[in-house]
Amino acid sequence: MRQRIDIGVLYARSGSYRLVSEACYLGTMRAIADVNADANSPIELNPIERDPQGNIDRYAPLCDDIFRTSGARHVVGAVTSWSRKEVIPILERMGGTLWYACPYEGFEANEHVVYMHACPNQQLVPLLGHVIPRFGNNGFLLGSNYIWGWETNRVARDLIADAGGKVFGERYLPIGETDVSRLVDEIRATRPNFVLNNLIGTSSYAFLAAYAELAKGDAYFAPERCPVLSCNLTECELPAIGEAGRGHLSAGPYFACKSGQPASSFEASAYASVQVLASLLANNPSATFADLPIAFDGATYETPLGRISIDASTQHATLPVVIGRIGDGRFETVERIEAVAPDPYLSRYDRASVFGRPRLKVVS
Amino acid sequence: MSRPSRIPNLGGAKAIILHRPHATVSTITRQLAAIGLVVRDHWPELPADALAADFVFFDVDLGFDQQFPWRPGEAPTPIIALIGSEAPGRIEWALSHKADAQMVKPVGNAGVYSALLIARQSFEARQRQASEIAALQARVAERQTIVRAVAALCASGVDDALAYDRLRSLAMSWQIPIEDAARRIVALTEQDGRDDKSSRA
Repeated sequence: MRQRIDIGVLYARSGSYRLVSEACYLGTMRAIADVNADANSPIELNPIERDPQGNIDRYAPLCDDIFRTSGARHVVGAVTSWSRKEVIPILERMGGTLWYACPYEGFEANEHVVYMHACPNQQLVPLLGHVIPRFGNNGFLLGSNYIWGWETNRVARDLIADAGGKVFGERYLPIGETDVSRLVDEIRATRPNFVLNNLIGTSSYAFLAAYAELAKGDAYFAPERCPVLSCNLTECELPAIGEAGRGHLSAGPYFACKSGQPASSFEASAYASVQVLASLLANNPSATFADLPIAFDGATYETPLGRISIDASTQHATLPVVIGRIGDGRFETVERIEAVAPDPYLSRYDRASVFGRPRLKVVS
Repeated sequence: MSRPSRIPNLGGAKAIILHRPHATVSTITRQLAAIGLVVRDHWPELPADALAADFVFFDVDLGFDQQFPWRPGEAPTPIIALIGSEAPGRIEWALSHKADAQMVKPVGNAGVYSALLIARQSFEARQRQASEIAALQARVAERQTIVRAVAALCASGVDDALAYDRLRSLAMSWQIPIEDAARRIVALTEQDGRDDKSSRA
């Protein structure tokens, strides 16, 4: 008799970042279906679904509701860092665990969270390490007005300075805002070497569309010359971006290459989250957050992201880093680094190894 | 001009926790290890190599002066107070050690990272201030020398305002602080005085 175990699923099925959220939801539900279809699995997962609809104030109450009304002790969910930070107090109070399948800005290692997508040393640092020597070291930084954009751009400022470059501007829009004309005017006026885009959802689509228009009138802003960089752009948003995305760059642990595989790293990471959780629960159906470090120590997992491990001290995944360029509705790999260990606090960051030795300048 | 990186490079830094074996120690140790620090805990005494630690967390509830290889308020490294009981005597003792940051017990799942950054910044500011104060005190101590130098320059028949201006322009032309110039003039004057005496003898 298989043991039936409740797990929470907390993804918005609507709202401005719905495409990302849907990709995570799809990966989660597919993995649950695969676990349940596996005749050898000693457990059956029962999803307890709640839909916060992209409303930040709904995450904590719905997470609490999952814990209070079901047997679930694990929740797969949350897309924005803001929503992750909203549910952490609930996890701490209820002894729960969040399996978080999205890239984030780092500087966190909560024992109630398993971080299954990339942190800055697995996206931003290698991305700028790739771009700056090829395109130049002066950047323009964009973000949606919350912690992901603020912190990612803050680290980017440091990286750009370490590379000897300048930040020509740093601008934020409220989540969901689509009037990007001022940002584009400023970029046109300052002519950076690249634009780091930490806008999310509809703001990001509006910006990429306007930037493509800008490039039509001024070849300086063509992607071969002044690309737009992202640390969270995947296949799941390409339909909303269309031709405007072509040639721009993104970093992530995975880009889809064949059909039948997850269609984006969000889907792959959510799928992997359920896989790792299922293997944990198969060994110990009542496993909680307190059992995670011992379970992760020395373990490896075969997932759509490849064979991964999870660092027991930070609960962040070791992941490949892939830098992809948008082509025909998909990403072409331009650089790939295998098995990059997580460094969420950038404690091992070394500017010389990322950008080479600083050039000496004549001081007059 | 080179510029220090703002990315806090804490990887491999050494932290010592001065606390009896307790859940507080394991909670702090977990967070420090996740950030990338090397952690040890000790009780009741800090070993001599605590002087080389990058951070010291210390228990305020049961702490006492003899635990530390330094005098109260003279820690050579950033120190972070772990406060449980808010008894005024204990707070007073923690203040006497000039803690650079504090954490209230029981320690939660977060808080260590901000304590590290705050402690380091506050320690560096304290060090900087101490050396500025020492330099200022040294200059203040030279006031008497300046008075004597001005008096010596007045001996040539100018008033004290003009003598002070002359002292300043001498310091500028020698490219040294005015206190050093004053000391040089006093030394020269005393030398002349002795020469005069010896020539009279």
